[in-house]
Amino acid sequence: MNARALPGLLAYALVAVVFVALAATVKTDDYVANILMQAATYAIAVFGLSIVLGLCGQINLAQAAFFALGAYAVGLGTADYRLPFWLCLAVGIAIALAAGALLGVSTLRLGGHYLAMVTISFQQILTVVLINAIGFTHGPDGVSSIGRPALFASGQAFLALAVAAFAISGYFVWRLPDTRLGRAMRAVRDNELAASAAGIDVFRTKVTAFALCAGLGGLGGGLFAGGFSYVSPDQFAFSDSIVLLTMALLGGVSSPIGSAIGTGLLILIPEWLRFLKSVPGLYLAIYGAAVILIVIFMPDGIWGFVGRLFRPRARAAPAPAEPLALRPAAGDGVAAEARGPGASGAGVVLEVRGLAKYFGGLKAVDGVDFSVRRGEVHALIGPNGSGKTTTLNVVTGLYRATAGRIFVDGVDVTALPAHKRTSAGLARTFQNIRLFRSMTALENVVIGAEREGNTLVEAGHGALQSRARAALEFVGLGSRAHETVPSFSYGHQRLIEIARALAANPTVLLLDEPAAGLNSSEKKALHDLLDRIAAEGLTILIIDHDMTLIAGVAEHLTVLNFGRRIADGETAEVLRQPDVVTAYLGAS
Amino acid sequence: MDFFLQLLFTGVGIGAVYALVALGFVLIFRATNVVNFAQGEFSMVAAYLMVVFAVDLGWPYWLAFAIAIAGMALLGAIFNLLVYYPLRNRSYLPVLISTIGASIFLMNTVLALYGPQPQVLPGWFDTPGIQLGPVYLDSQYLLIIAVTLGLVAFQYWLFERTLLGKKLQATSQDKEMAALLGIPVAAMIMITFVYSAVLGGIAGILVAPVLFVSIQMGSTIALKAFAATIIGGFGDVAGAILGGFAIGIIETFGAAYISVPFKDAFAFLVLILFLALRPQGIFGERVAEKA
Amino acid sequence: MALLEIEGLSVNYGEIEALRGVSFTIDEGAVVALLGSNGAGKSTTLRTISGLIAPRAGEIRFDGKPIAGLGPRAIVKLGVAHVPEGRRVFPGLSVRENIMLGASNGAASSAAIRREADAMFDLFPDIRPFADKLGWTLSGGQQQMVAVARGLMAKPRLLLLDEPSLGLAPVIVQAVFQIIGEIHQRGATVLLVEQNAHMALKVADWGYVLESGRLALGGDPTTLWSDERIRDAYLGGAQTAGRR
Repeated sequence: MNARALPGLLAYALVAVVFVALAATVKTDDYVANILMQAATYAIAVFGLSIVLGLCGQINLAQAAFFALGAYAVGLGTADYRLPFWLCLAVGIAIALAAGALLGVSTLRLGGHYLAMVTISFQQILTVVLINAIGFTHGPDGVSSIGRPALFASGQAFLALAVAAFAISGYFVWRLPDTRLGRAMRAVRDNELAASAAGIDVFRTKVTAFALCAGLGGLGGGLFAGGFSYVSPDQFAFSDSIVLLTMALLGGVSSPIGSAIGTGLLILIPEWLRFLKSVPGLYLAIYGAAVILIVIFMPDGIWGFVGRLFRPRARAAPAPAEPLALRPAAGDGVAAEARGPGASGAGVVLEVRGLAKYFGGLKAVDGVDFSVRRGEVHALIGPNGSGKTTTLNVVTGLYRATAGRIFVDGVDVTALPAHKRTSAGLARTFQNIRLFRSMTALENVVIGAEREGNTLVEAGHGALQSRARAALEFVGLGSRAHETVPSFSYGHQRLIEIARALAANPTVLLLDEPAAGLNSSEKKALHDLLDRIAAEGLTILIIDHDMTLIAGVAEHLTVLNFGRRIADGETAEVLRQPDVVTAYLGAS
Repeated sequence: MDFFLQLLFTGVGIGAVYALVALGFVLIFRATNVVNFAQGEFSMVAAYLMVVFAVDLGWPYWLAFAIAIAGMALLGAIFNLLVYYPLRNRSYLPVLISTIGASIFLMNTVLALYGPQPQVLPGWFDTPGIQLGPVYLDSQYLLIIAVTLGLVAFQYWLFERTLLGKKLQATSQDKEMAALLGIPVAAMIMITFVYSAVLGGIAGILVAPVLFVSIQMGSTIALKAFAATIIGGFGDVAGAILGGFAIGIIETFGAAYISVPFKDAFAFLVLILFLALRPQGIFGERVAEKA
Repeated sequence: MALLEIEGLSVNYGEIEALRGVSFTIDEGAVVALLGSNGAGKSTTLRTISGLIAPRAGEIRFDGKPIAGLGPRAIVKLGVAHVPEGRRVFPGLSVRENIMLGASNGAASSAAIRREADAMFDLFPDIRPFADKLGWTLSGGQQQMVAVARGLMAKPRLLLLDEPSLGLAPVIVQAVFQIIGEIHQRGATVLLVEQNAHMALKVADWGYVLESGRLALGGDPTTLWSDERIRDAYLGGAQTAGRR
């Protein structure tokens, strides 16, 4: 929580209190009260979907099942076991959270379609259990005489409680995108590979999003059970999961306001269209058609559509960052000392031994050794297909090594996943730029700064922001910090990517063909930038085809051909070796 | 042992239906990189068309079959034009949701037109079946297995042995490049949808005499067929077929030896277990991506 | 007579004007290089000619017939083959299948196409050993060979090559340009988009230079190469891939 959020919080709290007070005092008839109760509890579940779908880009087709878990925990707990409401609600949320996390753990490594399928399976299994495990769930008859807490025993008071829960979870979902977790979720949605290279644990982030979504479903369901005092399996079927999903989509998944709008509309519209229900199926047929139409014609939902009309285009250019020089700690020995003895052995900071990577029968990298010394610019060159990028991908953990070892500061990182290597001090850029495209330049760079193991993380939000600003300033884009990625030229996007890596305060900066696709003036600017980074003492491992650039910046060359090392040594010396000249530069 | 063999036969028969629907999934997935969640509704609609023409109107079975298949081809074409095509340049998520919308639409339109009562469709043959040693071979199950094997062979030939199959694959891998080479991309996608709708329709017509014809029959079959495609490794034709048989057998034995009411849950449990333990499917991924 | 005539071609991407009234011609049998810095509109020009993008204004005539606004399929049927940037080899199809699909603009029988594809390996002997390997397993240079071979299968009267040297090591770049030279020998017309001006002007009969969506200059390679202004403004990085 930072200071800027405070006025927003106060305004929000004021509005929320007014609504809760209205819900608690204004007398309504049962019909209206029921609709409000349903809307408030459903909306909480839809908030959950806006996290998982809107923020994290994953799908959940079982939100009604998580809703059911909360509802049955409260229903069975209060009615059959005479347990206090609050305990049951907490247990319901916990069960839903746990079920969501478990389901996520089983499939979130696989992505989209698998997740869709598994959530449907979970939904179906739960429905089968609710209907058939009669001894426990009362089967199709459902659970009645569900209890409420003493303080909120009246319908009106309980409605106020539901509205309060709605307001609080709405605030949480509203603020989430600008927290570290929320940024990680958006990063995962925009580009998983880049997210893991920036040090985000993609899998854990997705599981967290999924569990939060399920937990909110459980909360909504628990309140729903208390509000209506009766639950039955047919209220939580697959079609209800689709209804919840449609509410999120109709309103717009990117914002809790959208969720609330979507929920309200889809609860009211059926009431207006009640007459259609005389023909079974007609109403749902229209519903199905509406889903298709929304997806085709309103991709961002109602709120996204409205928001585009009113949203201020871009925040004003920020005041220039404090003239804090970008001085990566890696070179000055602080980080090395922190890592313990042996770290600075012989000045080697990145060591690769016997590294191999096979794709089926293709030996892309076949027993490569090289050592990158601290504070040096080390280039990996070779003809196309010689295994340079594959080597970099194995070093940074995007591929698993077939054989060999990789040490960063003396620590064996060979078995670590990509994001852990980022924590160990590696930061990279990609041949084809991988930025988080829906975010601003600054947000991209903040995510880089936020990597685990960066000492600045403990220093808090402000330190991260200024670090990120300083990194953007360093590459010359400080004045455009609040523009989103697509508004930058290709060359500038490349610079943002470098700034993101620099902000992470890495031990080694790995650049994969940074000059590719740049024009000559941009190449010159890149050359200058690399010189400035090198002057700060940061260790660089660079791959590129531009020999002017390589000869200009690199002190040490490792030459690969057909996956093997054919030369290694000081730049000028290596470039004179005849076999390097023939293999790489072509016979002339 | 006799009971075991009898169950095995039934499991293989029902598994063949899942395999057919799974083939439809794999086809559309390979052409569009999208899972069609309304695939099962193709089976359901075809079964209802059979009920209308063969039972209600009393037309000859083969004529009703021809009409139903033509109807499915038409439905596949309309489905492509209204549900998939407008979204072809968007990510998989909107398309997936759109097919779910289509599934709800088709189910409830049939419900509105025909009512909720399950219907009965007689089998193709008058002979109920033959006794082979200890096992009674139901004629409809025999037909299902034979047709499935025939269609599987046809599909393998189409994809691996013909230029059309290669064009379909090229379209699924890079549409813009396919267009640059002169491959009629829209037609390729249309062919895929029409063919998968027909496949789904055949599955529905074959299985209808074994089950009741109901609104839910499609989604039940489709979910299991989808589980089959995952068990088989996504996008893999042989895997989907094996997966289909596996699901059919597991579910038949589960119902017989463990619990009938929970029959429908077995396939899903197996699926979740499979995803946790061997997510790449029986045969693993076909095409790996270089980063 | 000019095989391709472009007149006042303008293309927009949303609000960005990618091309603003570009006009030039290509004679039958010539190799023409289209040069310019990143973002000058080179790829956009090719993509518009091959029908991937519809122009906002202007006319494109191929062999005298207007083709602007036709789809890519109709245009490749007329004999314009486009080998796009990034090779775009179908990853899940074999090399031979990739090459065979290059003939999709014609009506030849499957057997005839297979024979032609096999004959194509004579021009590209380096990829013959990989004929049955899947596209994704090849290196960038090999993929470029497959992409060009696939383009030639269309029997094009005009071949559009977009950055064939991009991301390739110098020795492979030379091999690729050797093939372009050979294609030229066989009488094909080639429009070549390149950042590597040095190599491009070596094989080209004529060069055009694009600058921010406008045609800035045109001329034969010697004239272009000796023009200091051009060297500085557009060809600065040219010596990069050449010999040092």
